[in-house]
Amino acid sequence: MDSNKKYWKGLEELNKTPEFVEKNKHEFAEPIPIEDVLSGNGLMGKTPRRDFLKAVGFGVGAVTLAACQKVPVHKSIPYLIKPEEVTPGVANYYSSTYDGHAILVKTREGRPIKIEGNPNDLLSKGGLSAQAQASVLDLYDVNRLKNPMKGTTEYEWNEIDAFVIRELAAIKTSGKQIRIVSSTVHSPSTLAVIADFIAQYPTTKHINYDAVSYTGIIQANQNSFGKAILPHYRFDKADVIVSFGADFLGSWISPTEFTTQYVQNRNNKSLQSKKMSRHIQFETGMSLTGTNADVRIPIKASEEGVALVNLYNAIAGTTLPGTKKLANNSANNAIILAAKELEAAKGKALVVAGSNDVATQVLVNAINSLLGSYGTTIDMDNYSNQYAGNDAEFVEFINEIKRGDVDAVFFLNANPAYDYFNSKDITDALAKVRLKVSFSDHKDETTSLCNVIAPNHYYLESWGDDNIIEGYYTVLQPTINPVYNTRQAEQSLLVWSDAPVKEYYTYVRNNWDKNLLAKGGLSGQKGWETLLQTGFIKVADKPAGIYSFTRDLNAVAGTILAQSDQLVASGDKKMELQLYKSVAMQDGKRANNPWLQELPDPVSKVTWDNFAALSLTDFKKLNLNEGDVITIDANGYSIALPVLLQPGQAEGTISVALGYGRTMAGPVGDGVGKNAFPFRKFRNGTLQSTNVVTIGATEDNIILAQTQTHHSYEGRNVIRETVLKDYVKDPYHGTGHTTEHKAYKSLWNEYQRPTYNWVMAIDLNACTGCGACVVACNAENNVPVVGRDEVRRRREMHWIRIDRYYSFNEAGTTVTEEKEIGKLDNLNNVSVVHQPMLCQHCDHAPCETVCPVLATVHSSEGLNHMAYNRCVGTRYCANNCPYKVRRFNWFNYWNDSRFENYIQNEHTLLVLNPDVTTRFRGVMEKCSMCIQRIQAGKLKAKIEKRPLKDGDVKVACQQTCPANAIVFGNGNDPESEVSKALRSERTYYVLEELGVQPGIGYQVKVRNRTELEA
Amino acid sequence: MASHNESIIREPLVTGKDITYAKVTEDVLSPVENKPNKAWWIGFTVASLGACLWVFAVSYTFWYGIGSWGLNKTVGWAWDITGFVWWVGIGHAGTLISAVLLLFRQKWRNSINRSAEAMTIFAVICAATYVVSHMGRPWMALYTLPLPNQYGSLWVNFNSPLIWDVFAISTYFSVSLVFWYIGLLPDIATIRDRASGLRRRIYSICSFGWTGSVKTWQRFETVSLILAGVATPLVLSVHTIVSMDFATSLEPGWHTTIFPPYFVAGAIFSGFAMVQTLLLVTRKVLGLENYITMFHIESMNKIILVTGSVVGVAYLTEFFIAYYSGGEYEQYTFLNRFIGPYWWAGCMMYGCNILMTQLMWFKRIRTSIPISWALSIVVNIGMWFERFVIIVTSLHRDFIPSSWAMFYPTWVDVSVFIGSIGLFFTLFLLFLRVLPSIAMAEVKLLLKSSSEQAKKKLIDEGHLDKSQVEYYKESLINYDSVKISDYEKV
Repeated sequence: MDSNKKYWKGLEELNKTPEFVEKNKHEFAEPIPIEDVLSGNGLMGKTPRRDFLKAVGFGVGAVTLAACQKVPVHKSIPYLIKPEEVTPGVANYYSSTYDGHAILVKTREGRPIKIEGNPNDLLSKGGLSAQAQASVLDLYDVNRLKNPMKGTTEYEWNEIDAFVIRELAAIKTSGKQIRIVSSTVHSPSTLAVIADFIAQYPTTKHINYDAVSYTGIIQANQNSFGKAILPHYRFDKADVIVSFGADFLGSWISPTEFTTQYVQNRNNKSLQSKKMSRHIQFETGMSLTGTNADVRIPIKASEEGVALVNLYNAIAGTTLPGTKKLANNSANNAIILAAKELEAAKGKALVVAGSNDVATQVLVNAINSLLGSYGTTIDMDNYSNQYAGNDAEFVEFINEIKRGDVDAVFFLNANPAYDYFNSKDITDALAKVRLKVSFSDHKDETTSLCNVIAPNHYYLESWGDDNIIEGYYTVLQPTINPVYNTRQAEQSLLVWSDAPVKEYYTYVRNNWDKNLLAKGGLSGQKGWETLLQTGFIKVADKPAGIYSFTRDLNAVAGTILAQSDQLVASGDKKMELQLYKSVAMQDGKRANNPWLQELPDPVSKVTWDNFAALSLTDFKKLNLNEGDVITIDANGYSIALPVLLQPGQAEGTISVALGYGRTMAGPVGDGVGKNAFPFRKFRNGTLQSTNVVTIGATEDNIILAQTQTHHSYEGRNVIRETVLKDYVKDPYHGTGHTTEHKAYKSLWNEYQRPTYNWVMAIDLNACTGCGACVVACNAENNVPVVGRDEVRRRREMHWIRIDRYYSFNEAGTTVTEEKEIGKLDNLNNVSVVHQPMLCQHCDHAPCETVCPVLATVHSSEGLNHMAYNRCVGTRYCANNCPYKVRRFNWFNYWNDSRFENYIQNEHTLLVLNPDVTTRFRGVMEKCSMCIQRIQAGKLKAKIEKRPLKDGDVKVACQQTCPANAIVFGNGNDPESEVSKALRSERTYYVLEELGVQPGIGYQVKVRNRTELEA
Repeated sequence: MASHNESIIREPLVTGKDITYAKVTEDVLSPVENKPNKAWWIGFTVASLGACLWVFAVSYTFWYGIGSWGLNKTVGWAWDITGFVWWVGIGHAGTLISAVLLLFRQKWRNSINRSAEAMTIFAVICAATYVVSHMGRPWMALYTLPLPNQYGSLWVNFNSPLIWDVFAISTYFSVSLVFWYIGLLPDIATIRDRASGLRRRIYSICSFGWTGSVKTWQRFETVSLILAGVATPLVLSVHTIVSMDFATSLEPGWHTTIFPPYFVAGAIFSGFAMVQTLLLVTRKVLGLENYITMFHIESMNKIILVTGSVVGVAYLTEFFIAYYSGGEYEQYTFLNRFIGPYWWAGCMMYGCNILMTQLMWFKRIRTSIPISWALSIVVNIGMWFERFVIIVTSLHRDFIPSSWAMFYPTWVDVSVFIGSIGLFFTLFLLFLRVLPSIAMAEVKLLLKSSSEQAKKKLIDEGHLDKSQVEYYKESLINYDSVKISDYEKV
């Protein structure tokens, strides 16, 4: 039924106005210009303003939304099949070897991130050098060679092999000579490979070439006792040590091992039994060893021989022909005194000399023989394989090339084009050689002269073994797949000599199975696996034989004195030059390592440079200022170096560090410092590090990048020391307190430390100042390298530093204050103390109270925490820190193109410890007492359902310290090592009178010297 | 305020014949209502170039990091906090003049308080920029505010003097700003009434509907008094707290209990010097000599002399305590100010602040405009060095000698400081153009009681004690620092 009702929506509809009728025709109330748009006119026409705005609005909105995505996206690929031994987040440790020391390599998710000493290492008990600590960084060096090369072109290995084998075959037919030049090889398997190579190519000869060799000692032993070996010195057995320029704690033969030995007679345990060795050092420049000596006498390089002759005379009671007194009276007295003390300690005495002169070393042998050192402090039977280089052999090698006898030469870990004294000679000679093969993994100075480059694996990628002390065999195992297309040098040699076993791993296995495993009482696969776990085998020591010196010394003395005369610098601008291996750089092989470049020299505290060290007298005489550049001229070679005023430097002498001035080390090492190797001199059959030079002035002045520029401790009791005699009478002597530790009243509430109270003890008498801890800390805590300019601005980031202070002995009193020191005429009577300084984790920390945002707070375990994410960077904490151990990120060192030292390279980030966050600019940082290690230790104990044991947690600096000077642990546990160490009478706290209650106790430095010497 | 007649023996505060209310308005508003003159343009160009330098240097710092300054591991604060304390100190005179002198009924403040307060505001702005720009991560500056957050109970550290600073400076700034603005209301209303068009609308909004009724005036007086009461403790508290940044620390040279009064005195000292520096120029350029008279100048010089001497005593006390305490580090620090590598900074500090201000004992110096101006600059320099010495010379050689270091400023350090001065003058010059530099309403209050013509009128009426009139006339000739000829100036 139709409704008769009519519904209408509006009056317009009801009335049917014409407008409404018109409007109602259309579907939409307002006309939509579809037709207009679709017709060509609409599309081609001008965009209306509104549409334009709509489009812009949409576009901007869409782009904004799209841009909201998190960028950049780094895709990480998880393990599809997880290797059995890899758990993400859990470190694996592999035993391996570095330079003959047993080490542990810490790897995370398959990449090595830290080198740690093997605690069972026989040589340094888990201690490691700065170089070993820094070595992990070189693995990720992007400047390593990535492929084998012929000339400057990259090739495949099979092409290289074909070429080399063809060449070798041709050379073999021609009967020409083949030479393998390497730095001393002490790996039994490598030596076997070389022997096999020689068997295949009989004209081959292996030449050990050390940048700084010990030919003098080896030859002297040959001359004296018929054994051309480097003996194993035993500083731990010596009560009296007299060293003539041997820097045995810093760079001489085996410094890390010697540090461990040396400290055994000077550490707390030894002092508790009222015993301490006595160490007298005669030397030219101030060495690390010299800074630790009880008595140090500066003598010129030319006087060293004379002094030794005098010492011999005094001990033997004879007078060798030509003997003369030293010009310096106190040195004369010191020699007589040393002779007396050495004689009194017969059988427990040791005389060493740094000279590479055969005659000098023969005389040293004679002295040691008189003192009964052989069989006690010098072991000739369990000898050292560390250095076997013979300088004369290398000279002869160059002559052979010049004669045209040599057609092939292989360089293995040797870089004579840089470190041979006459690099032009070797460069010119090499041009004549047909086949020059380098195994270097860098395109270094020598490699660039070679026509074939067969880059070696890095040691962390290699199999192998080592044997630096007779009877001590360590094993080298890879910890990562080769990063680049490299091949182990031994394998290359095996391939080229067409050996039956071409795989070097199998070769090493066979060699161990056949020759070595049995020596350690092991055998078979199980034995090999045990070895890979323990890292080494030790054959029982042979009894150390007693050797007596019987040769006539008259001729020897004559040679020594004649050489000494040659060294005397006479005339204006002439000075005696002494060259030394720098503790950080050593012979310069690791010059491209920024951790080492930024490691302050232990004595001068200079980074990123070498310099000419001169005495105050010479400074005055030559009218020099610190940093003035002088030219040094000798052997037809000249360099310009900034000068450094070195207290204790013998007058009339200059000391310059070797290992700098690389030209093809890589972007980090190139052009840092000047090369001093060319100043060495071939004298009496060996290369010697002394020379006479002419100096000249220049107009330049360079600011050396020193981490410490004030060198005296101003009589402040931050340093406390005593002498052995007083210590024996009163163990509290010099500590500033007479009974046990002095308690200061406190205004603050005590923090509760219910379970753990992490504290540290640092023995100033054990610390030699070597700096290994600094590099270990860098590696462990991702401490950035800042470069020379930033160090100049005093902005190095090291969390631990070693403060080195000079004090001077003037007329029986100790002078430590700057203004008094300024009045001294000479700075010869200098005493040195090294003090490791790091965050003291004060219980009433001044930094904590002043932080506006609570970014640094105290933990319930006695630690001072730093919350980087909370820090706004007011730097108030650093200002208020009395120890000045807080470090501010002035720039974004991790991502600022101006600090491209290494950290922004492609692979370098892989070396970072993932347990430690990197810090952005504007954030304060400091020592955390390796909190990640504490946490890991606690977690491990928890998983194993046991309380944390003392020694479970070792902080990085403590772990690497070869002197064991740093002890860390739980102060709440009275039986912990650290509690025992802190109970020492010698314990004092730096700036304890401020009431900040520092958590690190220092043990007073004891010097074994009489008042007269002091 | 009531226009009772002031005692005839007081010196007049407004000079010149025929000064009427209208004349005051005309004189004071002439720079606001007319096109700027050449001197202003020159000053503004230089100042705004400085401000641009500041923008550039601070942006550079933000972009690259604090490392672009010369700071190092030992000296963590240098030009930044020196500049901060210097500016905060300068800001002190404003509050002192507006609040303390108001409470003490020192009517001579009426003609200088406006500029002094403006200076305070701008100086505190300059100081506040340092607070943010010296941070390593300025984008995290909000962490220093006690804001509710998602980090559990993570709060600011109320133990830290820097947090006290945040509160002290922000309170000081807001109170000063309110005080200053309240004082401006009647004057803004005057401008409003005289202006037309857009100008009128803007000033109308800014005048907050000022009607000029008796009730408005009464409320105005009450609010002024209340704010003066609130602001007075701030005069003491702000610099006390700034000084605690140092005093509560452990650093030798900082850890000193005398710092709060010493800093407050120093702040007033430097603040008045800055007022002097600005007003001596302003009054000349803007022709306001009748309102800012020699009497004002001399009064301010006297305050500079007194506070300078207080500071001097504080310096001596510090040295005595350093000696007497027997504290090894403390002693060295104070010795180091003279014999250390920064001896020249120490000499600038002690020389400018103590020795030079002692010249103010001489009336001829107090009343010489060029010398007063020069001395005010010397004081400003001296006070900058005071903060530099306290901060850098103390830090650079503290407890552990191995860490002793030198501080060398970079171009960025210098630019930020020079730039902040440019910023300050830019703001001040803009202020002169848009707001009356003298509190017209308050000066008008003086006209009937304390002006030269009012006094003349009183004398002419002849109801006064003859001897007092004689004394007044004589003293104008004998003792008054304003020359008679100046009184007669139109």
